[in-house]
Amino acid sequence: MANERVRVRGLSIFRPIIYGNTATVLTPKEREALPSPDHTHKWTVAVRSAASKDGIDSVGGADDLSYFIKRVAFKLHDTYPNPSRTIDKPPFEVSETGWGEFEIQIRITFIPESGEKAITLYHHLKLHPWTASGDPEPIPPLDVAMKMGPVHSWQYDEITFNDPYQNFLTILTNHPPTPLPKAKRKPVPFHTSHPASLEASKGGVPEFTTVMEKEEADRLEEAKKTVLKQHAEMKLHLEEKERELKRLQKQLGEA
Amino acid sequence: MAASAADVRSILSIPSQSGTPQATQKKPQAQSARKPEGISRELFSLIGSSAPTLAAQLLKPRLKQKPNLGNRSCVKWEWRSFKNDARSDGLQLGHWTKASTDPTTPYPFSKYNIQPTVYKYTDEEYTQYLQDQAWTKEETDYLFRTIHEYDTRWYVVFDRYEYPGGVSRSLEDMKDRYFSVCRKLVRNRPWTGDEASKSQLIQSFQFDKEREVTRKKYVTSLENRTPEQIAEEEALFIELKRLEQNERRFKRDRDELLRTLAGIDSGLPDVVEDEASLTAPLPGDFLKRKKTKSGIGAESEPAGPSNTIALGPPIIRKPQNAKSAAYDAQHCITRTEQTGSGSTTKAAHQPAFLRSFKIPFPKAALAPRINQGLTELGINPTRLVMPTRDNCSRLEALIEATTAMVETKKTMDKVEYEIRVAKGRLGIRESEEAGAGGGAAGESISTGIPVDAMDVDEAEGGGDDADEELAEDGRAQSVASVRSARGRRQSRRSMSISSVDTSATLPTRAGTKRQKRG
Repeated sequence: MANERVRVRGLSIFRPIIYGNTATVLTPKEREALPSPDHTHKWTVAVRSAASKDGIDSVGGADDLSYFIKRVAFKLHDTYPNPSRTIDKPPFEVSETGWGEFEIQIRITFIPESGEKAITLYHHLKLHPWTASGDPEPIPPLDVAMKMGPVHSWQYDEITFNDPYQNFLTILTNHPPTPLPKAKRKPVPFHTSHPASLEASKGGVPEFTTVMEKEEADRLEEAKKTVLKQHAEMKLHLEEKERELKRLQKQLGEA
Repeated sequence: MAASAADVRSILSIPSQSGTPQATQKKPQAQSARKPEGISRELFSLIGSSAPTLAAQLLKPRLKQKPNLGNRSCVKWEWRSFKNDARSDGLQLGHWTKASTDPTTPYPFSKYNIQPTVYKYTDEEYTQYLQDQAWTKEETDYLFRTIHEYDTRWYVVFDRYEYPGGVSRSLEDMKDRYFSVCRKLVRNRPWTGDEASKSQLIQSFQFDKEREVTRKKYVTSLENRTPEQIAEEEALFIELKRLEQNERRFKRDRDELLRTLAGIDSGLPDVVEDEASLTAPLPGDFLKRKKTKSGIGAESEPAGPSNTIALGPPIIRKPQNAKSAAYDAQHCITRTEQTGSGSTTKAAHQPAFLRSFKIPFPKAALAPRINQGLTELGINPTRLVMPTRDNCSRLEALIEATTAMVETKKTMDKVEYEIRVAKGRLGIRESEEAGAGGGAAGESISTGIPVDAMDVDEAEGGGDDADEELAEDGRAQSVASVRSARGRRQSRRSMSISSVDTSATLPTRAGTKRQKRG
């Protein structure tokens, strides 16, 4: 038993998750049925496993994360009744209706075996359709937005455990995560860090793939190459300039 | 003294010789008449009547009165013969009793002679319940008789037990047999009382032979220890205590150290740390930190990841076979080298985190420019679409490279500025050389009094002019030369500049001026 509570040193283990929201515009009929008719959207904020489940029309959620997550607390805007929503069992999600975007605090508590503290992350609830350039563009009218379909805003991340306890490690290795698909089958989830993906994100429920990781790696590599190239050029330029400066100073000194 | 002398005389019956003793003799008599109670005569004659207060103090304390133990007459005792009701043989014995007691009261100690319940069994009961291979009925009968005879006093029973032709029985054998028979009888006979008292009675006949034998063996072995063994045992016990104490002290020191070094990160109270963390080479950590610090200090170097937050401990892949690599990939495991100072330097546990938490921040001073540069490249320096470990380290490398570039750019801006300044000075000098007179006049006006004052004591300084001074001088002149075209404000500034220059490099400047004028 004692061996179970020993940390396995030099090992870190992670689990890919996604967090974010999906929002759809309410039809006028649905709005009438609501207790608060000023709400224009219905949305679901969730913490899920990154891989999507075949045949189910949602982003992510292939694995049940409750084997290492004990509970997830979502802190909604204060104007909601009981703004702190604690979800003790999967699916770890909250569905609500509303009219405005706001920051949601998500607090993930792990199972006691992990011996880890809860981690807190933030998600900006996204209701209005993505635009390539970001905020300044006006929010499209509701009927236009409705035609554009549900809005998805998801962030991929990896929860990393360093030197896990032996028994926690056993629990984790007993539940290997579903790997992300290697090819693009569905639209790409849009992300503000990659505005170019706007077109690719249109047309249905998106899915996270390893292609995205590869693409981003390429972009980063590309950017690094550009920077290094610029830097090299700049250095040459600098040397030249320094030579010129020396020459001028010498001239001044001679005179 | 005189009094004592008189006393001696009176004791020895020496007649007084003169009239003086008469007088002395009278005196003590008068004194003794007044002698208060509780003070000795000798003392009184010493202190005399002059110390009545002292006498009062020295008064013998009055003792409590002796208790009056009664003036009753002594109690009368008499020898009486009595009959003990507990005896069956009607033996008459005698004893002393108070005469006042009633001779008809029964002997008071006879009530303590309690006969234990005697369990007897019929032949039928014996055949039905009490058969035992090790015991014949005859021997059992004998056992019960003996027990009854000696009132269940086991050691006496054991001593007297001698069944003709029977095997020798240990005390435990006898107890076991007796109690088991009693238990069986109680259990199988009709019981008039309630169940609780029955089970209580059965409980009182409980006997575990094995346990009793073992217990006695233990006691025997404990008693049979030699003095050497006892001494060794004690020494070992002391040693154990000492070790425990040491262990506690080490642990306390260790915790103290951890708390000091790792602070809140150590997570001491609630984290179960195994031994590995305690052997972590802490000094290595400090060394590493020092190194990074010196990295910041060296500005000319292309900026390293000095202030960027590292992606956890540096990751060194262990050489591993394809199978374990696949396993690790499946379970999302990363292994780091244990032995290096890198991975285990932090004795405290690094808590769970999201990859995106570890995205490095650029240097605060350069952050706006770096972020701008990255944004131009289409990279968001604070968020990644897929913050995997590889991508995070890629982003870190990118930020590093950008930082280096921005720093080079800064150096370049500085050099360019210096070039502009130098060019400006050269240009001025050329134009100055063209019209030296005007320039000189302008200068003297612009610099005003300080320069004039300096001109007065134009010293013998001078000599070789450093480039720097020349350049500054040139600027002052250039400003001065355009002064006529500009406003008064301009001239004042130029003056202040030149005066600052002069104050800094007095002799040199003076020398230059003279050279130019001449």
